[in-house]
Formats: sequence, C-alpha cells, structure tokens
Amino acid sequence: MIKTKNLYFKYEEDIILKNISIEIKEGSFTAIIGANGSGKTTLAKHFNALLMPAKGEVLVGGTSTKKDELNARKKVGFVFQNFEDQLVYPVVEEDIAFGLENMELGNEEIKKSVDEILKELNITHLAKRNVNTLSMGQKQLIALAGVLAMKPKCIVFDEPTTNLDEKNKKSIMGMIRSLNKKYRMTIILITNVLNDLRYADEIVVLKNGIVIFSDKKSKLESSVLKEARLYD
Amino acid sequence: MIKRLTFGQYRCKDSFLHSLDARIKIIYVVVLGILSFGIKSKFEIVVFSLFMACIVLLSKMSFKELIKNLRPFYFVFIFLLLMYLIFSRDQIILGLRYIWRFLLLIIISMLLTYTTTIQELIAAIEKLSKPLKVFKIKPRNMAVMISVAVRFIPLMFIRFERTREAMASRLADFRKIRHIKLLVLNLLEKMLRSASNLSDAMHSRLYNEDIESRKFMKLKSCDYWSVAIIAILILIIY
Repeated sequence: MIKTKNLYFKYEEDIILKNISIEIKEGSFTAIIGANGSGKTTLAKHFNALLMPAKGEVLVGGTSTKKDELNARKKVGFVFQNFEDQLVYPVVEEDIAFGLENMELGNEEIKKSVDEILKELNITHLAKRNVNTLSMGQKQLIALAGVLAMKPKCIVFDEPTTNLDEKNKKSIMGMIRSLNKKYRMTIILITNVLNDLRYADEIVVLKNGIVIFSDKKSKLESSVLKEARLYD
Repeated sequence: MIKRLTFGQYRCKDSFLHSLDARIKIIYVVVLGILSFGIKSKFEIVVFSLFMACIVLLSKMSFKELIKNLRPFYFVFIFLLLMYLIFSRDQIILGLRYIWRFLLLIIISMLLTYTTTIQELIAAIEKLSKPLKVFKIKPRNMAVMISVAVRFIPLMFIRFERTREAMASRLADFRKIRHIKLLVLNLLEKMLRSASNLSDAMHSRLYNEDIESRKFMKLKSCDYWSVAIIAILILIIY
C-alpha cells in the first residue's frame, strides 16, 4: 500500500527523518510509535503528500508522491491531531461534503455519500449543526466522517485520542478497529501511548527521526521501547 | 464574549424576506445602502423610513429583537451626536439626519443576516462573484474564505478567552502593555498555527479552487415581486 525508500526530510538545517525505509501492507493496522519530537507526524504527512522527501521517495499504491500528489491524497485519508482545525465549513453536512466537492462528484452522489456516512457513524442528528457548538468527541467524529466520505483505502490517525475523555477514547478506538477488521481498511495509527499498541499488528518505532524497529508486533521487545524512551 | 455577538443573527422564520433568494437580497443591500445615503429631503427620508419599517415587518423581526441588535451601535450614535453638539451645534439637524441614515443602513445589512442562513449567503456570494473570474478571482476561493472566517472567528474569541483566563490565573495585569502584547502575540501564534493546520487539512482533502458551486439556485415569483416593489420605491424617491 505505502512504501518509503531511503526517505530523508530536512527542515531548515535540521534533519527530521533519516533514511527511512518501511512498508505499510494493505489491510494492515500499523502503529507508528515514538516519543514527542521523534518525527512521527512528519513521516505520516509524507504518506498524504503534504510533505515531500528531501531525498528518497514515498510510493502510494506503487506511484511516487512526487509524481502524483492527488493519487496519494485520494488513497490515503488523514485525520489530524488538531481535528478542530480540520473542519472547514461551519455546518456539519457541508463539511463532510467538502472533500467530495473537490473530487467533482455530482450533487446527488455527494448527498447520498454524506447521508450514508452520517448514518454509518450514527450522527444523522448532527447534520445541520454548527461545528462550533459540538463537543470534542463529536468534532472528532465529523473530522473522521469527512475523510471516510472520500472512501480512501488507508487512513492515518494522528494521535486521535489526545483531547478526548475515556468514553470517547474507547468509542473512537473501537471505530478505528472496526474500519480495519470489518472493511479491511489500512490503518496507520500515530501514537505515543504504549497502550494503543494492543490494536496494531505491525509496529514502527521511531527515535530521533530514525526507524529502530519495523516488524510484526509479536517480534517487538521491551528493550526497543526503552531505547525509544517510551518508558524508563 | 461570543455570546454578545448577536448582530443580525439568523432566525428561522416563515416570512416574505426569508423566502427571497439570497442573491437578490445581497443586491438589495447594495441598492438600498446607496439609496439610504442618496436621500436628502424630508419627504425622501420619511418615505424611505416608512419603506424600511414595512421591510422590518415583512421580516417578522420583533421590535425587541431590533433594539437588541442595534445595541452595539448605540455608542457610535451617541458619539456622533456629541461631536455635532460640541463642534457644530448649528448643524445638529443635519447631524441627526446622518445618524438616521446610518441607522437605516445598519438595519438593511442586519435584515440580510437575520433572514439568510450562512450557507445561503456563501452560495449567493459564490454565484454573484462569477463575473470576477475575468480578473482571475476565483468564486470558490471567495466562498471558502468566507466559510473559514465564519467557522474560525468564534473559535478565535474562545481561544482569546482561554488565553486571557490562563494569563489572569497567573496574575497577569491587563492594564500593562506588556501583558496585552503577550496576550495578542499568543493568540496570533495560535491562530497562525490553526491556519497552517487548516491549510494542510484542505490539501489532504483535495482542495480544488477551480470547481463550480454545486448549489442550485432559482428565482421564484416572490423575488420578481420584490424587484417591482424596489423599483416603485426608487420611482417615488427620484
């Protein structure tokens, strides 16, 4: 699904990502874990072509993001950490339709897709609401609905539970799991919470912009997590 | 603070004005705005004021709501009146006329937002700005810009309050310029970060500035009637 080959990324003089070569398999649930500032979000933004490698390349469905940004954005959806900033339109149903409008779908098709997603996520009652009046959990759902409506093959969740209470955390994580199990959607979970690893089957551990582990969860040893300074 | 921003907030009512096409209403705001500053004689002012009273009645806006919506402008009216009283007492009648015209102008724009939803307004602006394509101004960009403003202005006030409270809890004194500067810079930094996040989010959802609006708008018989009414008003005044 996604492959990075010797990926380097520089911001001004600082090298943020160094020689990253990983593969995200189709239908997998991959967690990218690392301490704050380890380069997790920077790496994830490459999958959606929001950032371009300084050296190396990122292939989404076999096509380089440098050659075709739109291909990457159609195939890989992105739910941002600050999901409050992700909502463009003031009304829920309009915001969900934003990506579909950009895909130049017809009115009927857009309406049908929006209604389907609202129903699927059980938020039909929020359709006409102003997004500024919603709770954090509801805003997170709207951000997810906006991405799901575009029917991507893979979704990146950047620390999706950071601003949520326990109940909303469980509900969002349950939803992410069901997207993977029920719909075989490729999930990339960016996290710094060890507990989140229980959902994943593939793990990538980052430390200071370098991948120190990338394999099946069963092969992960606690020494790797210690090295990544995820616990003492 | 956000609760005090009540100017012309949309109210869902079944009125003649609510049923008009948003594009027509925007054009009327421009036409009536120009007319309100073009009226000079007492006769013209009386006719225009009566017309405006009828429009307010047609919008089903109550007198209480009208007064409440005008509340933020009382200070401006009093200030203008005081200026005339202090500096040109002999022209006080002229001053009152100016204030009255200004009041009418505020009511005109207030009625637009009172009777039109944000979505309708944005769609209408997008449709009306199509001719601007000649100057390479893209209607979609304008519409999205307005939507983003509508979405983020309340958020800015919320963030302002949060930052102010956080600073106040650590004994900030907002009479000090240094603390005001800190508050403003902090807010600015947060808003710029939000803008950067929003830009990323829009790109990740394939933002395309060239697509046409998907909203369908068609003039109805009430819109044509309203054109006739405005035309009669113009004929009476001129």
